[in-house]
Amino acid sequence: MSSAILPKRSDGRKTSDLLVYFGVGFEAGAVIALQIAIMRIFSIGSWAHFGSLVVSLAMLGFGLMSTIMCIAKDWFARHWRLVCGAALLSFGPLAIAANLIAQQVPFNAIFLVSDPNQKWRLLANFLLYFTPFLAGAAFLGSVFLQARTRFNRVYFADLLGSGLCGLVVLAAMYVFAPQDLILAPLLLWLAAGIAWFFAVEGKRALAALGLVALVAFSAHLWLAPALGLAKLAVSDYKGVAYARKFPDSQRVYARNSPFGYLEIYASSYLHFAPGLSDNAAFNLKEFPVNAYEGLYIDGDGPSGIIRTLPASQTDYYFYLPMIYPYLVKPNADTFVVQFGGGLSTAVALTRSKHVTIAESNPAILHAFLNDRGLRSFTGDILHDPRVTVVGYEGRLYLAHTPQRYDVIDLSLADSTGLSSPGGFAIVEKFAYTREAIETYMRALKPGGVLAVTLWNKEEPPKSVLKLYATMVSAARANGDQDVAQEFFATSCYLSTATVLYKKGGLDAADIALLRKHTAAMSFDAIYYPGFQYDEKQTDKVLDGFRSQIFFDASKPPADDVAPDASAPPGASGAEQGEPAPAVVPAVTMGQLAWHALINGNFDDIAKRYVFDARPLTNDRPYFAAYIKPLDLPRILDRLELVQDEWGYLLLWATLGVAGLCASTLIVLPVVFGWRTVFSATPGKLRTILYFACLGAGYIMVEVGLIAEFVQALSNATVSAAILITGMLVASGLGSLTSERFFPSAPKTLPKILAAIGLLLVAYGLLIHAPLDFIGMFPYGARLFFCFLLIFPPAFLMGFPMPTAMGALARLEKDHMFLWAWGINGCFSVIGAALVPLVGTSFGLSAVLYASGAAYLVAIPAFFGVILPVAGKRTWNEAQV
Amino acid sequence: MKRRTFLIGAASACLEASLPAFADTPQAYSWDLSPPTDSREAFVKWAVKTRGEDPKYLAERFDRYRILVANRDLWNDANKRAFLLTPREEFCLKRNLGRAYDNAFLDIGYGVTISGPHVVGRMTSSIDVKKGEKVLEIGTGSGYQSAYLSHLTDKVWTIEIIKPLAERTRGVYDDLIKRGYNEFNAISTKNADGYFGWQEAAPFDKIIVTCGIDHIPPPLLQQLKPNGIMVIPVGPPGAQHILKVVKQQASDGTITVARSDIYNGRIVPFVPFTKLEGDKIVGTHNK
Repeated sequence: MSSAILPKRSDGRKTSDLLVYFGVGFEAGAVIALQIAIMRIFSIGSWAHFGSLVVSLAMLGFGLMSTIMCIAKDWFARHWRLVCGAALLSFGPLAIAANLIAQQVPFNAIFLVSDPNQKWRLLANFLLYFTPFLAGAAFLGSVFLQARTRFNRVYFADLLGSGLCGLVVLAAMYVFAPQDLILAPLLLWLAAGIAWFFAVEGKRALAALGLVALVAFSAHLWLAPALGLAKLAVSDYKGVAYARKFPDSQRVYARNSPFGYLEIYASSYLHFAPGLSDNAAFNLKEFPVNAYEGLYIDGDGPSGIIRTLPASQTDYYFYLPMIYPYLVKPNADTFVVQFGGGLSTAVALTRSKHVTIAESNPAILHAFLNDRGLRSFTGDILHDPRVTVVGYEGRLYLAHTPQRYDVIDLSLADSTGLSSPGGFAIVEKFAYTREAIETYMRALKPGGVLAVTLWNKEEPPKSVLKLYATMVSAARANGDQDVAQEFFATSCYLSTATVLYKKGGLDAADIALLRKHTAAMSFDAIYYPGFQYDEKQTDKVLDGFRSQIFFDASKPPADDVAPDASAPPGASGAEQGEPAPAVVPAVTMGQLAWHALINGNFDDIAKRYVFDARPLTNDRPYFAAYIKPLDLPRILDRLELVQDEWGYLLLWATLGVAGLCASTLIVLPVVFGWRTVFSATPGKLRTILYFACLGAGYIMVEVGLIAEFVQALSNATVSAAILITGMLVASGLGSLTSERFFPSAPKTLPKILAAIGLLLVAYGLLIHAPLDFIGMFPYGARLFFCFLLIFPPAFLMGFPMPTAMGALARLEKDHMFLWAWGINGCFSVIGAALVPLVGTSFGLSAVLYASGAAYLVAIPAFFGVILPVAGKRTWNEAQV
Repeated sequence: MKRRTFLIGAASACLEASLPAFADTPQAYSWDLSPPTDSREAFVKWAVKTRGEDPKYLAERFDRYRILVANRDLWNDANKRAFLLTPREEFCLKRNLGRAYDNAFLDIGYGVTISGPHVVGRMTSSIDVKKGEKVLEIGTGSGYQSAYLSHLTDKVWTIEIIKPLAERTRGVYDDLIKRGYNEFNAISTKNADGYFGWQEAAPFDKIIVTCGIDHIPPPLLQQLKPNGIMVIPVGPPGAQHILKVVKQQASDGTITVARSDIYNGRIVPFVPFTKLEGDKIVGTHNK
């Protein structure tokens, strides 16, 4: 094993293994950096979900390349030096060219269904961004093939490079503006090229690399601006695009970091008053003007940042839903779970003796604490002597502090002021889960009030029903005996909904006060102790909402539900002096939900309701994915109605396309070579199964744990970084270590696979407790503990792939070697798309169970992998 | 399209000769215009003669009209007439002209869409604008909504926040007026922040807000007459739910606001992209 992993250089000198490893590591890092850069470009330019779609599918480039190499293996083996050189040289310029061209044909998600052109633009984006990945795959595939008997070492370099470069890109986000982030993969590519050409080729190749790099960098940095080509085309439909058009708009703050591209705009055209009572128009003496600046993260928003108001204007707060808890708890010791733009805190400060605020986004805290302009605008709110700042998620702080509060407020966190066409992201909302709400409830003083306000702009209602169910189940989980007495819920139609929970129960005076205020604001009372609900309405409301979405599209509306000429809807009431209806169906639905929640038959109502209304839990922390999976086929011809669910539906689309592409790529080598090459290779089906299990299993653990670890790290970006880096580095070390166990693999690998399977199932069962525990430590320690937590399974997960690839190589199943690599890549894409689908339907633990099962299934399949080819080396002979 | 180019050219020639303000619209607008609704041919023939419009778009308009009526998106004679008289194709971007009468919202630039005909039909029918009533629109956008309104009343005000869009749409109106669409003289436009309404022209009988907002602007509620109605589409463009707000004044003078949807509490199926084959509705365009 002492010989170099690659043949001698063209000038006869020995190749340096170390430089080859560096070349592979940097190129693998450039591939992952390009993925991240493209996702950032989509996040800021249009919509993040399409970035995920494009990148996931682009990774099929690895599958395609393995198929091509499998079919033309001998040619690739002969010309490996040429293929590696050409593929490596082309990666950088392809990445730059693909991006510049793609940005000239941006597509707009909101027209995807209604405008046929958009589908072609999406396809063009995909094909363009696909090309550099194909080049990256050609390079890595050729190196793997050439160094196949030492696969575990090259694979170690590949994983280590991917992992560490993922971290490098995060750091690069502080340095490069979003439109220039693509320079990060370009620099890594340059490093890869230098290492590779120095090791394998010579000065001429290095000179060619220098020239190509010069062209690529120049095209991005000088040519594009000179020709007026956008490097990142921001859609006109992004929130920030509107702010930029206001005549007096001024960008007063901008900072790029892994926590998002944060911009703040000032303009007299920005107006916020989330949930404002309509009655304010007639009763409020002085309305604050120019009171807000708009905060945008990755171009999405705005969230309102309120300026410090003079005393004469603070009556305005009285008409906002955030005032509710202070009606029954004036002069409170208050905790604001998420600071956001600061409105809740501003309201709290007018009614509290002390306010503790938590904010998990360091970029927001940094801006409010340090920016001179913002400090002046907000009256330096975070340095107010009555304010204490917690620099991480309120949920984690409250879980571990002995401090108790009069009021805990969670108002419109994470949501922007306007309903954007982008809709829901499939993001974990750990602040709203049953476990989080239990924590808030426990952190209240006796008689303390928890207030949660949510947007109520959905019709039929979705998120608010989930919130109601979550809050009641949290109270029950805390062991509260009389939940009927503890809650008050109110909403404003197509505006906001607020739920109050009072520890120990609301008394008659509280209820009277809250109802009086609700009436004075013209809000709707959804629930209060003693509320009477008429059960006769139940069937009509549930059936009505179901038929609103699942109507028979082939028939015109029936007369009993649609307006007709004799009784026109809308104007008729007011014009003819008829009273407007007292209650709209969405309000009745809320009242029905509360009635069922209090009386214990909510499960039955949730089953009959048109959308998923189950509570959020740490295992299923999603407001999104409200379409019940069984209803999916019936929604396909009416996608416009669920535009806010497209993020979720896109995952199904990704899964479908990935499944289709993957099966094609897997079948192609069979068509071309089954009879000739593969017929002589035993254990084919088990080999497919083995690498499919590994591909899907590995990525499912990675993506699933990214979602889980947000619970401890409270930030999806950091969680993704620590998981990608941590897992790949640990698996890289595993891959390196696996070399020592290679001779005994038939005995040891099944044990390792079993250990992985059982560990993953155990993680699925038990992981929430350690994550909650880790959440109480300082951030640096949390990162370290998270790394420790993922190390054991990730290290072991580094064994199966290189061991089996090495086995195929040494048993001289070279076609299978290439094919297996492609199958692994294809199933990675499928697995990544499966995670949120499994997570939203069955919970994140189910993702870990499924991955555990995949590794257990791989045990019998492994014995197919090591079956020798007739007439060629056996396992024992291969060890010599 | 060739005919259109020719007519525009002819219009310019007429203007240069300082002729009165009708050009390619042979007959000036009047409240007596009554498009036939019994057949497409009759409508197209009538409209070519009286309005001088392109038969291609007229036929598409009539087909869409039939669907809107069948879907109860239009339900009174005034709105049916307004829909048939409003040349939607004039308010679409050139690249979208092929889909001008699709039941879809279309891009008009600046991050703004022209709503689908069904949304405009439903929303405007629901506020039942009567001739002589004062109507304010917030968010002029393409100009189609106000053009439609000008066939219902002679008092329309509309405000657009995006300056270049406001100017472009004003240009569209001016051009159409020059070509003989004198009904658009009833539309007053301005480029301003619609949040503050149009105080000089207030109070209004009806207000239509067509832009996203996290609360109803208090100045608009103040500028609404007692018992006046405001409608606001809420939600994503393809599935907008229309919030209806009625300003109520009690006998003691107390003012309150009632929120509902435009169907007065009835749950009505969304029927977004209905497809017509011949005279029959056969499902949706996506199937």
